[in-house]
Amino acid sequence: MKNFKMLLGVALLGGLLNSQHSFAQTPVLQQRVSTKYTNVPLSSVLNDLEKKYGVQFSYTNNRVSMDQLLTADLNNQPLGDALTQLFKGTDLDYTLVGNQLVIKENQPVANTKQSNAKLTISGYIRDASNGEALIGAGVFVKELSTGATTNVYGFYSLTLPQGNYTLTYSYLGYEPQISELVLDADLTRNISLTDQHIKIDEVVVTATKVDEHVKSTEMSVNKLDIRTVKAMPALLGEVDVIRSIQLLPGVSTVGEGAAGFNVRGGGIDQNLILLDEAPVYNSSHLFGLFSVFNPDAVKDIKLVKGGIPAQYGGRLSSLLDVRMKEGNSKRFTASGGIGTVSSRLTVEAPIVKDKSSFIIAARRSYVDLFLKLSPSQKENQAYFYDLSAKFNYTINDKNKIYLSGYFGKDVFKFGQQFQMNWGNATGTIRWNHLFNSRLFANVTGIYSNYDYGLGVPQGANGFDWKSRIVNYSAKADFTYYLNTKNTINFGASAILYNFEPAKISPLGNKSIFLSRELDHQKAVEYAAFVDNEQTLSTRLSVQYGLRFSMFDYIGSATTYNYTGELIDRKTPINPKTYGNGELIQRYNYLEPRVSARYSLTESSSLKASYNRMAQYIHLITNTTAASPLDVWSPSTNNMKPEIADQVALGYFKNLRDNTYEFSIEGFYKTMSNQIDYIPGANLLLNSNLEGELLYGKGRAYGAEFYLKKNTGKLSGWISYTLSRSERQIDGINNNQWYVAKYDKTHNLSLVGIYQVNDRWTVASNFAYGTGIAFTTSNSRYSHGGLIVPHNTFNARNDTRVPAYHRLDVSATLKNRQKPGKRWESEWVFSVYNLYAHRNAFSIYFQQNKDNPEKTEAVRLSVFGSMLPSVTYNFKF
Amino acid sequence: MKRYSFFSLILFALSLASCQDVIDLKVDEGKPLLVVDGYVTDQPGPYAINLSKTAGYFSNAPTPRVRGAILTISDNEGHTETLVETDPGKYVTSTLQGKIGNHYILTVKAEGEEYRAEATIKRVPQIDSLKQMYREKSEIYDEGYYVQYFGPELAGKGDFYQFKIYKNDVLENKPGDLTVSSDDFVEGNYISGPEMNNDPFKAGDKIQIQTCSITEDNYKFLNELYLQVNNAGMFANPPANVRTNLVNVNVNSTKKAVGYFGGMAIRSKEIVIQDQK
Repeated sequence: MKNFKMLLGVALLGGLLNSQHSFAQTPVLQQRVSTKYTNVPLSSVLNDLEKKYGVQFSYTNNRVSMDQLLTADLNNQPLGDALTQLFKGTDLDYTLVGNQLVIKENQPVANTKQSNAKLTISGYIRDASNGEALIGAGVFVKELSTGATTNVYGFYSLTLPQGNYTLTYSYLGYEPQISELVLDADLTRNISLTDQHIKIDEVVVTATKVDEHVKSTEMSVNKLDIRTVKAMPALLGEVDVIRSIQLLPGVSTVGEGAAGFNVRGGGIDQNLILLDEAPVYNSSHLFGLFSVFNPDAVKDIKLVKGGIPAQYGGRLSSLLDVRMKEGNSKRFTASGGIGTVSSRLTVEAPIVKDKSSFIIAARRSYVDLFLKLSPSQKENQAYFYDLSAKFNYTINDKNKIYLSGYFGKDVFKFGQQFQMNWGNATGTIRWNHLFNSRLFANVTGIYSNYDYGLGVPQGANGFDWKSRIVNYSAKADFTYYLNTKNTINFGASAILYNFEPAKISPLGNKSIFLSRELDHQKAVEYAAFVDNEQTLSTRLSVQYGLRFSMFDYIGSATTYNYTGELIDRKTPINPKTYGNGELIQRYNYLEPRVSARYSLTESSSLKASYNRMAQYIHLITNTTAASPLDVWSPSTNNMKPEIADQVALGYFKNLRDNTYEFSIEGFYKTMSNQIDYIPGANLLLNSNLEGELLYGKGRAYGAEFYLKKNTGKLSGWISYTLSRSERQIDGINNNQWYVAKYDKTHNLSLVGIYQVNDRWTVASNFAYGTGIAFTTSNSRYSHGGLIVPHNTFNARNDTRVPAYHRLDVSATLKNRQKPGKRWESEWVFSVYNLYAHRNAFSIYFQQNKDNPEKTEAVRLSVFGSMLPSVTYNFKF
Repeated sequence: MKRYSFFSLILFALSLASCQDVIDLKVDEGKPLLVVDGYVTDQPGPYAINLSKTAGYFSNAPTPRVRGAILTISDNEGHTETLVETDPGKYVTSTLQGKIGNHYILTVKAEGEEYRAEATIKRVPQIDSLKQMYREKSEIYDEGYYVQYFGPELAGKGDFYQFKIYKNDVLENKPGDLTVSSDDFVEGNYISGPEMNNDPFKAGDKIQIQTCSITEDNYKFLNELYLQVNNAGMFANPPANVRTNLVNVNVNSTKKAVGYFGGMAIRSKEIVIQDQK
């Protein structure tokens, strides 16, 4: 306890110091220096000191003569004294800003440039401990009350009039750095910020001057810090990005254990899930229980539900942008964990220090390894694994290459009787290029593959079934930092899709099955976009853009028209054959995107946005929870693209010096060409799938309330969503509007993380939501002795399962770190569904197993009990 | 041709913590509808058509019979007959003989409405033989005897079948026992030994397998019915009403009937399970 109080004291002191200068001041200048220089150029002296003592210097090349010769004999002197001695007799001077030493030369200002010249300061902001780029870190210019944030590669650029400035570099949870500079030439400033968590265990309240929440034009955006995700209670201890997202406003799911998530009343296939820019088609392991992202490899998670920038398209409802870590560029580290379900191991290390690094993260479930010990289970397999890897190489100041890949698989095998597997593989190659300090470019090549297979290895039923979707894409994105008032983004992309819906072949010589392969489907999706983030006044800024998207459904293929009764299987007519690459159907749309922010006060703003989204590929699924066997289909001559228009309006407020973020948002969204299915539709292995589809429209609207506490001992959020999502599809529900299966009127989440002391952290989630809608059977009849359920109103989703609620808790115990040792470890204890509530996943109607005359309603609960777990994590 | 329910396997995988329990649910029963249930086959008659009404789903009693209706069946050979009500709601033929290739029209006059349905008896293949096979207990199979089917599938597309199993002269008729199949993936192949039963048999059981040919519409009806009576779990489909081939002759009437009148040709084979342990 004594220990803790002392820490608190240090922390408070640190907090005070912070407002003046960096906390790191004392150690840097008190470092002992022993070396001798005789007529050594300044540049070499600085390089030498940087190398030997890890000191960071900052200077402006054309403001300091780097070739002046210095002489000094230093013998175990503090660095401060050493510099004073070195600079004696010169015009050189130093100041400590943050943990950087800024070198200045007090030469007379002899500037030929005009005083109103526009100059650019640019650079990267990174984490000091591991060299990871910080996404969305802020740079604030005190004198102009303006600022910028880093892009997803940690790059920022600010174009300012010539002058003297005080810049504050900040990032939530990191020590801010204040830098004073004379801007009289274009300047590169790479900044390393220090993680507060590393320095002191008490979280210091950071006055983030650039306040994204209120000041940016971005709305309907939720960012999740991976550290927060890791601190939250997790199902069976498996830290899960997707499950954490489900606790955010506007996000719901049809039930626990269901794959994916639903955003603002949209389907799970309407979320563009990008892992290092590569699309992920199935975000779940184990049918939906766990997400495919290894938390140890994830750096940043951002969910965009509205006001989606023109750069992104292809899905109606949201963008989930998951960025992988780059790998520690300072030193080798390994981390991992042993959990109840799976174990993880991650290694990261520099290849060339500060220039090139890699990260490899692997995870595997191991229940099956225990199963194998029992002879009766020997032939059974049930496991998942995933591997994430990334490599980066900084060629020079202007060029950087990233290679990243993901490979994940789920495998089930029951002896010789049944087998099944599915998985995603993605690969991304990226090239960041700085044309100049104001034009940033990123060129990306992406490969993405999702496939599944199932089958019976032998016997009369022996078969093998494969299905996959592959795509290759290329894109180029540019950001032009025109001036402090305008940042222009533009770019273009192309995606080549190859759908292989199903290939079935007999296995073994006894199989009764024929070989059959559904035609492959090919398509190309093109897009070009331009948008501008413009500050119109200190109060008003807007981001407006336009995306043009085009989709070509191409051969080879045989197409049909379909005729017949609306809700029956339709008959294909007019077959037409197209050759390889021949255009069958083209669609194109202009997608306007606008969002605006109007500041009411320093700490509050109003925001509004409109976006149109076009979606050209569709997940064909007709089950409560999407299954890994569902196939994706391109838009065809029959299946039209889905289009959504969304408007959102919000009020954003920060309280108590940005300790709290509060927002209210309202949204209204319409969706066209929503797909549904005829009764008894056969969606798999059907070459005339289009004959079983119904099309209609959708609408969703609601209000989202969000209060988030970012810092302090207690952090977390409260989120409440009041919303409705409906469909109107001819042939269903007597052609009347009905609620979507994932509609939830009320959806409440509470997440709290409390740091008890330097070793214990406790956390809790509570979720409450209206039960999902289902279709009742109000009557019954008999056919051939079987009791057939029937809805005499012919209604869809006319009743609700009981309300959903669940409480999870967790506690993390950090083991004491031995002095001088890098080994850190912790125990995470968690209980999912603490009070063992049997939440209904669905209710269905069936004959009683023992007495077939009796009919009953059965509630299915995916988790009918509480699920405790223990995880051990380590890092060195 | 045992119907593999992949999703029940998936549910098995998920069964770690999941649970199911019966709950009370209040539903608005709505207005009862007329229900027709009956088949004409190529086997010797009489053929029975049952008339009843829908009842509340949780009524837990046999559904109400419909008495005093007038039913007629006519075929394309000019034979027409009026059925006789032998038991409440059960109407039987007296002279009609079903034949492969023939069409049948049923008319039902009940409660002031007239309904009509059509049926056809389609071709059917022979069963060559049945064999028994013993399986140990595993995740997918219970321990016991399984009957394998050997026989041709007719060349040419568009054959649809229902398979029925009689164990000791009683139809295996749990929801999961309903087995319908199309020749889509088998078309003309010799059927060499798929297991027919879900639940294992015991030594001494007398097993009869019936192959019943049905029309495509009848197949769709039974397939939809299968989905509705087995619609459970995480991967359930949204419940939807099963189709019917009963049409109200008066197109302006709002009254509707449900159920099915079909035709089928039946071939069967028997086996008595021998103890081979």
